[in-house]
Amino acid sequence: MQQSRARLFKEYKEVQREKVADPDIQLVCDDTNIFKWTALIKGPSETPYEGGVFQLAFAVPEPYPLQPPQVRFLTKIFHPNVHFKTGEICLDILKNAWSPAWTLQSVCRAIIALMAHPEPDSPLNCDSGNLLRSGDVRGFNSMARMYTRLAAMPKKG
Amino acid sequence: MSKRILCKFFAHGACLKGEHCEFSHDWKDPTNNVCTYYQRGICSYGSRCRYEHVKASRPHPSASSSSALPPAETDLSPLPSSCFKQAWDLDSLDTFNPATAAAKPEEQPICSYAAAGDCPRADECPHIHGNICPTCGKRCLHPFRLEEREEHKIACEKKHKQLQALTLSQEIECCVCLERVLSKPTPAERKFGLLTECDHAFCIGCIRNWRSSSPSTGMDVNSTLRACPICRKLSYFVVPSVIWFSAPEEKKEIIDNYREKLRSIDCKHFNFGDGNCPFGTSCFYKHTVKPGSYAWKFHRPPPRRPRPSGSNFSDVDTLVNMIGNIISEGEYGTIGFEDSDDDELTTTDMMMLLMHMDHAYHDGRLEEVVLRHLDAEDGQTVIAKDIRLSDFLEDMHI
Repeated sequence: MQQSRARLFKEYKEVQREKVADPDIQLVCDDTNIFKWTALIKGPSETPYEGGVFQLAFAVPEPYPLQPPQVRFLTKIFHPNVHFKTGEICLDILKNAWSPAWTLQSVCRAIIALMAHPEPDSPLNCDSGNLLRSGDVRGFNSMARMYTRLAAMPKKG
Repeated sequence: MSKRILCKFFAHGACLKGEHCEFSHDWKDPTNNVCTYYQRGICSYGSRCRYEHVKASRPHPSASSSSALPPAETDLSPLPSSCFKQAWDLDSLDTFNPATAAAKPEEQPICSYAAAGDCPRADECPHIHGNICPTCGKRCLHPFRLEEREEHKIACEKKHKQLQALTLSQEIECCVCLERVLSKPTPAERKFGLLTECDHAFCIGCIRNWRSSSPSTGMDVNSTLRACPICRKLSYFVVPSVIWFSAPEEKKEIIDNYREKLRSIDCKHFNFGDGNCPFGTSCFYKHTVKPGSYAWKFHRPPPRRPRPSGSNFSDVDTLVNMIGNIISEGEYGTIGFEDSDDDELTTTDMMMLLMHMDHAYHDGRLEEVVLRHLDAEDGQTVIAKDIRLSDFLEDMHI
């Protein structure tokens, strides 16, 4: 408990310092609970998520960093490795390939990388995975872009 | 004889010994006013001494046999004359310089003030000032004692290196807790945990915690827990060290020293031949066979008693996971296997597998099993065999 708190506090300081360095990630800690974090990440360019801002919710377990944080998308996203309804993310480093050397910041980076390189062979969103697996990249792109416009972009006018 | 000399204490008005005093309590007897230090050769008070600085002209107990002056050594002053030359003893230095100068230069000590850094007498110092040591910068190299010079140089360089390494180590952060390892609150935490296969820095507590943490969410023991959290290289044990290394040789030295130390400690699993050490001949700890123990009598480890009841393992994966748990649990998680060599690992893993088969009968796949100590030299040492599934099933009322 004490350890995870100390470590999260370190990360908090690091985030404050690096705020300007990485414009794609905005990591914010809950005002009252250091075990709850939210992040805003920008959709990577040259992907259907470009221009969108996606919100992530982090729930850090007590044994952190020995156990990975639980991360899910709060913003709806059409991606083969993200559950469409719950926002759950299928990413090895959040499950069996976790390492205590990862930080919340680096997890955000890994999620951005996952958005740019979906893994249709282990899908949480079957529709999206099937589109990619059947080679319909165009169909997938347009679906993903539509959901990005609908959910992840500030409404115009 | 001594009764004829007036007691010093009596003269001052109070002698505790009273009439048993060996010195005279009669005012008529003369006092002994001869300086005993002067008799032995030096008196630091010099001309200001309140006792008489005369050559022993009359016999008295303490100076009866002493001759007048050093360096002619007498029975009463068995110490070499150089011992009396103390730095504060300025008078004597002047007096006895010629005596010391006569000795061979390599027998003279060097000025300890200069060796410590600063001699107030500088050029006028009657002692030899040592040469400057290139490492510590102090005048502590004896110009005439070659062996001593070399010894000092080697020791000094070693110390210097250690100090440098310690300074460098101060800066190093643990990648798990993100804190400086040597700035942790308690001394026990201020230790690095070195992984054998890579050079990433952790505190010993963090890396041991990680390696022994339970693989809850399907983490694989070999590819995740026992791998370096940063580069994922597999290391079989962690070596504690108070200092971080800067060269591969230093790391090797730290690891070798650690294993050397463990080799002198008796293995608690082996228990002098009465216990069963899961690491067999690969164990880091000492396996001493006590006369009369099981291993002494039968030349094999005692059989492991199968657990009377246990969880029902349903597949081989769980079994392997479980063995992984056993490997990574406790202190053996950190110093589990001797070699990173692949062959060695397989045999050791297999040994572990077989030794723990007794847990796995419940899945119904194994009818009988021979537990072999595969790591023994001939590979034939049988630990236990013919443990039947049916026995278990009866116990479990299935």
